[in-house]
Amino acid sequence: MNDMSWTPLGPPQPPQPPVPPPMPVAFSGNRKEFFHLVARGAGLELVTVGFYRFWLATDIRRHLWSNTHIDGDAPEYTGRGKELLIGFLVALAILVPIYLGYFLVGIEAEHVRAFASIPLVAFFYMFGQFAIYRARRYRLTRTVWRGVRFWMSGSGWVYALKASLWGLLVLATFGLALPWREAALERYKMRHSYYGDLQGSFEGRGWEFFKRGWWLWLLTPFALYSTIFIPFVWAAFKAIEWRWWLSGIRFGEVRLESTLRRSALIGLYWKVIGWTMLLGIVFAAYVVLCTLLVASMDGSSIEDFFKTEAFAKSIPLLVLLGIGYLAFALAMNVVMRIYLLRDLWVRVLSTTIVHNIAAAANVSARGELANALGEGFADGLDVGGF
Amino acid sequence: MTLDGDAAAAASPAPGASAIYFDGTSNRRRVVALKLSDALEIREDGQRLARWAYADIRRADSPAGLLRLSCLTAPNLARLEIRDDTLAAKVVTLCRQLDENLPGRKGVAAIVGWSLAAAVSIVLVVLFGVPLAADRLTPLVPDSFERRLGDVAEAQVKVIFSAKRCDNAAGQAAFEKMVGALRQSAGLDNSVQSGVLATPIPNAFALPGGKVYLFDGLLAKAESADEVAGVLAHELGHLRHRDSMRELIHNGGTSFLIGLLFGDITGSGALIFASRTLVTSSYSRDAETNADSFAIETMHRLGRPAKPMGELMVRVTGKEGGKGLSIVSSHPLSEDRLAHMGKADAGNTLSGAPLLSAAEWRALKGICGAGAEKL
Repeated sequence: MNDMSWTPLGPPQPPQPPVPPPMPVAFSGNRKEFFHLVARGAGLELVTVGFYRFWLATDIRRHLWSNTHIDGDAPEYTGRGKELLIGFLVALAILVPIYLGYFLVGIEAEHVRAFASIPLVAFFYMFGQFAIYRARRYRLTRTVWRGVRFWMSGSGWVYALKASLWGLLVLATFGLALPWREAALERYKMRHSYYGDLQGSFEGRGWEFFKRGWWLWLLTPFALYSTIFIPFVWAAFKAIEWRWWLSGIRFGEVRLESTLRRSALIGLYWKVIGWTMLLGIVFAAYVVLCTLLVASMDGSSIEDFFKTEAFAKSIPLLVLLGIGYLAFALAMNVVMRIYLLRDLWVRVLSTTIVHNIAAAANVSARGELANALGEGFADGLDVGGF
Repeated sequence: MTLDGDAAAAASPAPGASAIYFDGTSNRRRVVALKLSDALEIREDGQRLARWAYADIRRADSPAGLLRLSCLTAPNLARLEIRDDTLAAKVVTLCRQLDENLPGRKGVAAIVGWSLAAAVSIVLVVLFGVPLAADRLTPLVPDSFERRLGDVAEAQVKVIFSAKRCDNAAGQAAFEKMVGALRQSAGLDNSVQSGVLATPIPNAFALPGGKVYLFDGLLAKAESADEVAGVLAHELGHLRHRDSMRELIHNGGTSFLIGLLFGDITGSGALIFASRTLVTSSYSRDAETNADSFAIETMHRLGRPAKPMGELMVRVTGKEGGKGLSIVSSHPLSEDRLAHMGKADAGNTLSGAPLLSAAEWRALKGICGAGAEKL
């Protein structure tokens, strides 16, 4: 699922002091309430074979948005689950013929040479980037702060082309060009983002990102060699990226700054890993228990049960394992949403400062609502991003 | 953690209770006084800014400790924020339809109900609609397209198995003789291509567009020409029924629909894989049974028994019964197939000449011997 990673922010208006002090951003949401929200949502996702995801994503965003305080006022998420469902259905109607066409073109390519159709995947990469841009536009136009909405112009396809070409460069440089790719793409996104009549911009430079994170690039081979390092490297990378990204955001003269420490997110990732292992152990125990139970009901000894591969063909066992797997997947979803969505959100927000709020004293409303087609594509193609 | 709600309240000594108002056209934060008469009046410095009928007022998302309101007849994003608890409570009692546009318990029930309905109809389409569509669509697919598909599949098979095509001259002659006889008996034209691939896996398969391949591994396990002939006749049955094409349509449709159900159009994920296996393997078992019947008829028309093929199957797979239910297996149980063929043979007098002489059979067994070359 592509859940938001976009921080609502705004150029707030000060009461009247001549030099407004830097304004920290606060979060007032109750963690228990959020847990309740995602746990109930996971249960409903199970009952509705996944269709509830549109409403759950909406409820999560509503909770996060409305509990974030910028200059004392909380933004509001005005999107609705129904819009996401319609976006998904429309995306489906467009994607089905594209998949069919992809299949036919793939056959022609394979006809020339076996496995020649693999580069066609690049097309779907581009499509995914388009979806990311359009999904961001949807989320932005559903973000309202002080009675004025954010909105976005620009072209999803131009963005997709830029993202794909930069992606090629990143591949060619073994990832070294990544900071410059992100800077270029952020510049495009922010230049086309508005709060009312206040235009956004992005001042982060690829070079600054590179200076802060180059040592991670050197560590990556070690992380790939010994997986224990991966969470450290990844968490440090994400922290550097968040800090660089937030500190580069401007709306008119309003400036954001982040003081997020490099180590700030490491704990979160380890907590997720800990929960994953715990849930994995529980799931494994459940599998063993089910197998023993079914084997004993079957009347055959465990050894026979495995020797004859009967375990792969027993319907009760398959059903029990299916249920267990679903429960495991849903519990993992809850864990990820609590730690990597809510807690990450809170941690990042608590280090975010808004400068020069006065510059946005009187913003006029502008901008149209965008449809949820991009969200639908992002859902259909399984891509996410901010 | 609200930051300056108190400041707002303190700043309005106006009569009537105070609130914060955003008019939806600018983000100016106005401290206003509220007058609750027959409608909610919003006043700033004695001037009326707006008048909201109670029936049109709706709740908007807000943090705890704050009542945020919108109005259906006001600009879309106009918001009124009340931080004073007693005033908020008073407004809530006056606005009867406050929560009408928020999805409540009823809304969730509707989502659950319709999702289940969608799931049931998708499952029904997978079980009944897709096989029907595959049956109806297969004859409509042009032969030329099917042949192209076959070429593609052939190229991939050769890469995957890194298979050499065996072409020992005597063996090839024997193989062609056998395929020719079977082809005529089966009523297929000579567009059928066939060959033996040097792979130790005991298998044989038919590709769309009239291609039949036998793996050397199966030849090695075979003890008579009738055994191999039966297998080839079975594969010709797949060709005759255009089973690959039908399976392609069937699998494609099933993957897509099941993927739709679980929310991923491309159809990845363990659950999707598992349920798809169950559906498509049951379908494939039907196709295998039909191909077996076709093989029996073809062999009988040549006056040869079909049972040896069943014996070869049992030799390759071992006895399969008694291992629980075979809902995930793509072929019927080998011993069931053997029994089916034995029964069919019993009712017929089979007095045809052997398909291959003893020398030819030896040549076929050795087709992948010295003469094997990389394609």
